[in-house]
Amino acid sequence: MRSIYRELRFLSRDRAAILWLGLAFVITLLAVTAGLYEVQSQRSRLMQLLQADRSDRRIVTEKHNDWGSIAYHSFHLTFDAPSPLAFAALGQRELLPWKHRIRMLALEGQIYEADATNPAFTSIGRFDFAFVASNLLPLFVIFLLYGLRSDERAAGRFELLVATAGNGGHLWMTRATVRLGLLALCILSPLVGAAVGEGSPPHLVIFAGSAVLLHLVFWWIVSNEVSRLTQWSSPVLLTALIGLWLWFAVLSPSAIHTVIERLIPLPNGSEILLTQREAVNDAWDLPKKTTMTAFTERHPQWRGQADINQPFEWKWYYAFQQVGDQVTEPLSQQYDSGRLARNHLTTRLSFLAPPMWLEQTLQSLASTDVGAALSYEKSIRNFHAQLRAFYYQKLFEDQPFTAQALEQRPEYSKAHLH
Amino acid sequence: MMNPLRIAADEWRLWYRSRLAMVGLAAVIGLLAGTATITALRVHTESKDRTEGQVQADEHFLTQPDRHPHRMIHYGHYVFRTPAPLAIFDPGIDALTGDAIFLEGHRQNSATFASAQASTNLGGFGALTPALMYQLFVPLLLIAFGHSVILRERELGTLPTLLAQGLSTSTLVAGKMLALVGLITLLLLPALLVLFFALANGASAIVSLTVVLSYALYLLVWAAIIMLASLTSRHRSWALGVLLGIWFSWTLLIPRLGATITRLRIPTAGKIEMDLLMQEDIRRAGDGHNATDPAFVNIRTELLAQHNVERVEDLPVNIRGVVAEASEAALTTIMNRYANTRMRLEVSQAKAVTSFGWLSPPLALSAASQTLAGTDLATHHRFLREAEKLRLDFVQGLNRIHAQQLRYQDDIDRSRNTEAEKRTRVSAESWSLLKKFSFSRAQANDRISVAFRYWMMLIAWVAGIAVACGLATRRLAP
Repeated sequence: MRSIYRELRFLSRDRAAILWLGLAFVITLLAVTAGLYEVQSQRSRLMQLLQADRSDRRIVTEKHNDWGSIAYHSFHLTFDAPSPLAFAALGQRELLPWKHRIRMLALEGQIYEADATNPAFTSIGRFDFAFVASNLLPLFVIFLLYGLRSDERAAGRFELLVATAGNGGHLWMTRATVRLGLLALCILSPLVGAAVGEGSPPHLVIFAGSAVLLHLVFWWIVSNEVSRLTQWSSPVLLTALIGLWLWFAVLSPSAIHTVIERLIPLPNGSEILLTQREAVNDAWDLPKKTTMTAFTERHPQWRGQADINQPFEWKWYYAFQQVGDQVTEPLSQQYDSGRLARNHLTTRLSFLAPPMWLEQTLQSLASTDVGAALSYEKSIRNFHAQLRAFYYQKLFEDQPFTAQALEQRPEYSKAHLH
Repeated sequence: MMNPLRIAADEWRLWYRSRLAMVGLAAVIGLLAGTATITALRVHTESKDRTEGQVQADEHFLTQPDRHPHRMIHYGHYVFRTPAPLAIFDPGIDALTGDAIFLEGHRQNSATFASAQASTNLGGFGALTPALMYQLFVPLLLIAFGHSVILRERELGTLPTLLAQGLSTSTLVAGKMLALVGLITLLLLPALLVLFFALANGASAIVSLTVVLSYALYLLVWAAIIMLASLTSRHRSWALGVLLGIWFSWTLLIPRLGATITRLRIPTAGKIEMDLLMQEDIRRAGDGHNATDPAFVNIRTELLAQHNVERVEDLPVNIRGVVAEASEAALTTIMNRYANTRMRLEVSQAKAVTSFGWLSPPLALSAASQTLAGTDLATHHRFLREAEKLRLDFVQGLNRIHAQQLRYQDDIDRSRNTEAEKRTRVSAESWSLLKKFSFSRAQANDRISVAFRYWMMLIAWVAGIAVACGLATRRLAP
């Protein structure tokens, strides 16, 4: 206990260390605040959108009074609202869409539309807690620890210190513990404060905090081992440690990325759209029977009602939209499973690059990772299937349009996500 | 008498003898070569895919069978943006924007399938490119080499000897600076190689040269700040700490903070919000599929009066086609208004972020580099605009065919009468109205003059630090 007190007093005279600790605290505070702002604005935008979306559908309902046209003109907002921990890791929400408006037409033509943010922002990258904890925290650890031994060596006090301390290892241990303990406090306290304000589930915050500590310990071990095993002077030591940071934070992730893209190729995205569009457009010229046979293979319950007598009937129109999706299915499944496989492999390889591992972990705790985006996409597919089931019944059974029946139409809700 | 060149040569010899320095240098040059190769291969594949995609899309459109012209409007067309030749050096925002657009009637689709969307989650920095290597990591090497150029003489006690031999402080500083400039020149060689390669692939020579000069200017900012730190610090650790702190705030902190501040200061509505707002306006403009929509009553009365007939059946033109053309024009005006608002806002956001270049030279350089390479936001917007021009062109061409070559009576009967439906099919030869799409980037001169604005930031940095170095040199004492 006395030694910790001594180290604290010693630290209070080290201006550089105080500077780094203060900087760590201020930067984390800024990052957390920016994250909170962003999440707040996503929520309020979503609220407005939900309202506008409802009133848009109301106008459509007033203008049309047959199932086919209502289905054609009604868009439905689907969304993935930010989780209570999203402020800490905004993750993939920047790049991968978290809101869509879809309608009864072929889904493959709609699901890849992205409501993208300004690419000028995306290219710079986010400033959030996950970025601070995974990319900047190692630098803080390095700055706080690199000179511990070598500065004493340079000042000629090293041997004396080790001799008087009795147990040399113990001395450096206490000194480093005090510094890193304070660093952890500087980085985790803004997170915990914001999490309490956001009402984030405590177990998630504890997981997130432990992951950050684990990452910190990794960099502690790295800094400690390098300075223990070498007799390098402070500048050389610092340069070498920054080199290691570059290796783990920048080069390895980039190499992993390149390897994964080579290992798991994806079908070209635009091919999905092209295939789907050819299938849907060709249907206009195909015999209606061909389309309806392909349709009833998937929906045998409508086999009895699948005769088309007019040049244009809504049920035929929606049937060929559905068949368009069916034709594209192999490609789109390949695309989905490819992205899933890339995501799995990234998660498995991420231990090779601890900063990347931490960012992945935080994003997955905050449901802002690629996996979350993929399950959101799945929820859109489920909802679209429900919409189809609803309208097919109306169209194939030739039910008259009523406002009451329309109230039974499925609405997208959070429940689709889980 | 010692001249600056001899001082520089001494410094180079010292670096050459240090194994650590040589390992670092080899590592950075190896990385530059590696990222350059990977980026070049990727861009090459993309370029091939998209050129093939465009050929295929053209062929699909032209080989469609005889059919109703409005069907072709909905069949639509794809256009692809092939990567800029300089994208092998700086792909800029290309991976984020999507490179294909589906063009169809009544809608302006966004570019889809940005390659970054399907890629793995990378974390902090994204894919490494030669440009990024120069912007972020070459400066680190310069810091490692250069922070001690003056300090070492001081710490080893050789500074007083040098000065006592009649060496002026300014010659000393000039020599050390020359050493750093030599290092920069060496480090720029891989960039030159990449740019030669781009040149062979059709990049403009003057633009490529400007790219190299921009990076040279940028690294000069670093050399100057390193010199300043070495001149004014008492200890090597202190100089190194300060320089790393500067690196850290210039490359990591200020750009991201700037982007965050800009987001809060200039918010934009997303595409869905815009679409919903636009929908209101579009409803007022009427539905062009329905020639009896109240919004088009005027067209009808005017046409009837102009041809002096009572019934639309007696018109020499098909009113459905006329209405379709008028409504597409009206709709496009509305859509362009929203699209332009959105683009203007995006541009002002990008400008606001770049103005943080006054605080962070890497931000200024990255803006200059993307502008020169033709991989910036303005180029993306240019692509969107050119695609829209092509869209309107073929859609309206088809609408005119609809108005002039189809009989109104057949047109309204075609859903019930198979014979009438056959008569509404237009010969496939008409599809050749589609123009070839080849995306052209802004002229070299325009790009250079835009990039010059960002040069100003870098020049201001060099000038400011040079003055500070001058003052520090005068006060340099053993």
